[in-house]
Amino acid sequence: MKRRIILALCLVAAVSAAVATTTSGATRKASAASITVWLQVDAQNSWPDLVAAANQQFQSAHPGVKVNVQYQNWGDHLQKFDAALAGGGGPDVIEMGNTEMTKYMAAGAFADLSSAKSTFDNSANWLKGLAASARYGGKTYGVPYYAGSRVITYRTDLFSKAGIKKLPTSTAQYVADAKRLFAHNKKKGFSPLYIAGTDWYFAMGFVFDYGGGIATQVSGKWKGLLASKQSIAGLTAYKNFWNAVSRASKTTDEAHPNPYDVYAQGLAASIEGPSWFTCCVGKKYASLTKQFVMPGHVAGQALPGFLGGSDLAVPVTSQNKALATDWIRDFTSTQIEKGLQAKGNIPNATNLLGNSVNERAASRSWFVPTAKHWVDVENGNILRNMLAQILTGKLSVKQAAQSASDNIASVLNQP
Amino acid sequence: MSDGSQTAAAAGTLLATSRRRRPSLARAARAGVPYALIAPVAAVIGAVLGYPVYWLVRLSTEQYGLFELIQHKGIPVGLRNFRSVLHDQVFWHTLLRTVVFTAVNVALTMVLGMAIALLLARVRTPVRVLLSSGLVLVWSMPVVVAVQVWYWMTNFENGVLNYALTKLHVGNYMQHDWYASTTSQLAMVTSLIVWGALPFVVITLYAGLAQVPGDLLEAAEVDGARSWMIFRDITLPILRPIILILTSLSIIWDFGVFTQPYLLIGQSRIGPANYLMSVYLFEEGYFKSDFGRGAAISILMLAIVAVLSVVYVRRMVRIGEATA
Repeated sequence: MKRRIILALCLVAAVSAAVATTTSGATRKASAASITVWLQVDAQNSWPDLVAAANQQFQSAHPGVKVNVQYQNWGDHLQKFDAALAGGGGPDVIEMGNTEMTKYMAAGAFADLSSAKSTFDNSANWLKGLAASARYGGKTYGVPYYAGSRVITYRTDLFSKAGIKKLPTSTAQYVADAKRLFAHNKKKGFSPLYIAGTDWYFAMGFVFDYGGGIATQVSGKWKGLLASKQSIAGLTAYKNFWNAVSRASKTTDEAHPNPYDVYAQGLAASIEGPSWFTCCVGKKYASLTKQFVMPGHVAGQALPGFLGGSDLAVPVTSQNKALATDWIRDFTSTQIEKGLQAKGNIPNATNLLGNSVNERAASRSWFVPTAKHWVDVENGNILRNMLAQILTGKLSVKQAAQSASDNIASVLNQP
Repeated sequence: MSDGSQTAAAAGTLLATSRRRRPSLARAARAGVPYALIAPVAAVIGAVLGYPVYWLVRLSTEQYGLFELIQHKGIPVGLRNFRSVLHDQVFWHTLLRTVVFTAVNVALTMVLGMAIALLLARVRTPVRVLLSSGLVLVWSMPVVVAVQVWYWMTNFENGVLNYALTKLHVGNYMQHDWYASTTSQLAMVTSLIVWGALPFVVITLYAGLAQVPGDLLEAAEVDGARSWMIFRDITLPILRPIILILTSLSIIWDFGVFTQPYLLIGQSRIGPANYLMSVYLFEEGYFKSDFGRGAAISILMLAIVAVLSVVYVRRMVRIGEATA
């Protein structure tokens, strides 16, 4: 009996020793031998060298501090972040899409960076759209990282073979060119301009081009705008344009498949998307690929493009807020921003802007309503479902727009 | 002396009482052994099941959004989450859709499973080995991988299904979109689920078929019974307990299925029109960061599954009692 008791005591001692070591390990970790950074895969695919350069810069100022960069996907990084907020062990720096910021700022998920704002390079000239997405209640919770507009990437050989001498300057001209491209390319599934049916970033450009909008705030309450005359004109124009130029699935999104994969398979004369799409058009077509700005319905005017972008923020749960802020400073330095620009992105400040196709496309741009619950509209696929209903003919443009508009208003007006 | 005799007498009575007590003590100890033996298991189950369920119930009575998540503290709201879910039209539509979906999936799984099990019992050994190894391979395929393969096969641009159907002159299926309507989407999901569920059902039923006495079947045949009658009057009654277990398990699995619909239909196509219960739960709870409401939905789901399978469980218990 005695022996058994001793055995049991030994067991308890061993277990508590193990627990003690793990907890002391956890506390040691908190006092920073490393920081964890969550960036999106875009950085991993297209500018890993810039991440490495920023890490080197950071480590020369903070010798011995490891930077643990973990790459995330847009599709599920918020669920992972929620879990990290609940359980701890999340990142010290997180990249957030500019449409995702408001909900998290409102919930108090990020550290206030207002007092450090002036220490970031070019912070006086930050792009308005991006800076606004990182501000809530008069405080700054994020640092603009980069922006991206959307352009047309096209095959010069197919365009010239079809006898297109001048690039289209209006949607009507694009439709006429599409007819020629169809005539010269009989392959099944070929698209003169491949557009995924539910690519709402592209479709909403038509809505804004015709003077419509998604939602607006009237005396503190959100009001849906998609059922307005102008918006319906825009959606109808989108439907007609889509039918004339694209043979994509009417219900798929712009990531299934990736438009550049369709292009690389020779099944598209042009695609629409971020300017870095040139990365992945395939060896065969790399030298035959150029870009231009998507025209709108008025000749000579660009189609308003979605100004996407990312901000970098420090979660309140971080144990290393000062180090995290220092890393962000290194990763948004003038030098790194110029590097991002060279990769085809729009840098985070107006004084760095150049004259690339991407930057010209940003001249006419639109942005989503800056509402706390906007991200619920995105995640709930309200716009995508509307587009699928319109293109498949399940509902008329008017019916689909009305139902989406009501839906959006009710989501945005939630407490 | 008298002292001595007194102590002796006292010792005697003591001995007598202890002798009288010992058997009852032993009996009590013996009776306690089973409880002591199951105590560790009960404690572990209580910890791993009871603790989360306690938190789930507590969460369902709280307002628990992103703000509360960061503060690590919910706001008690009583039954508000339940009221809000039960007043949600989407909940009732989703429930009806899920019940129909479950019924179709379970029926297809059981009927096809039985057919293949009967086939297995009839074919020659090499064919049986081939067939059952095929089934085991299906079984060993991880769900996420299976979804990806299904997605490729039914792909809009260059899926093999469209290609094969067109080449076989079933019709022009080039660029047919299998995910264009809710019915078509759920049909794809059903095909994937039934395909994945068959191996377990077939192998279990096949094992059950081995229990059917051969002489009974022979006797029936001699008496001139047709094969359908033999199946209905002999095989089926013997297999009934197994069928009941498989059906109730399938109901529980198919009602709460999440991975296949969510990944195959794809996040960007998910909407109230094609919600199944667990997808609805995920969208409301996680995507909208309303964890309290999500907890309320999962408790309701638990109750519904319990109601759906109670008939089967009761019958199973009755069969168990009859055979005991």
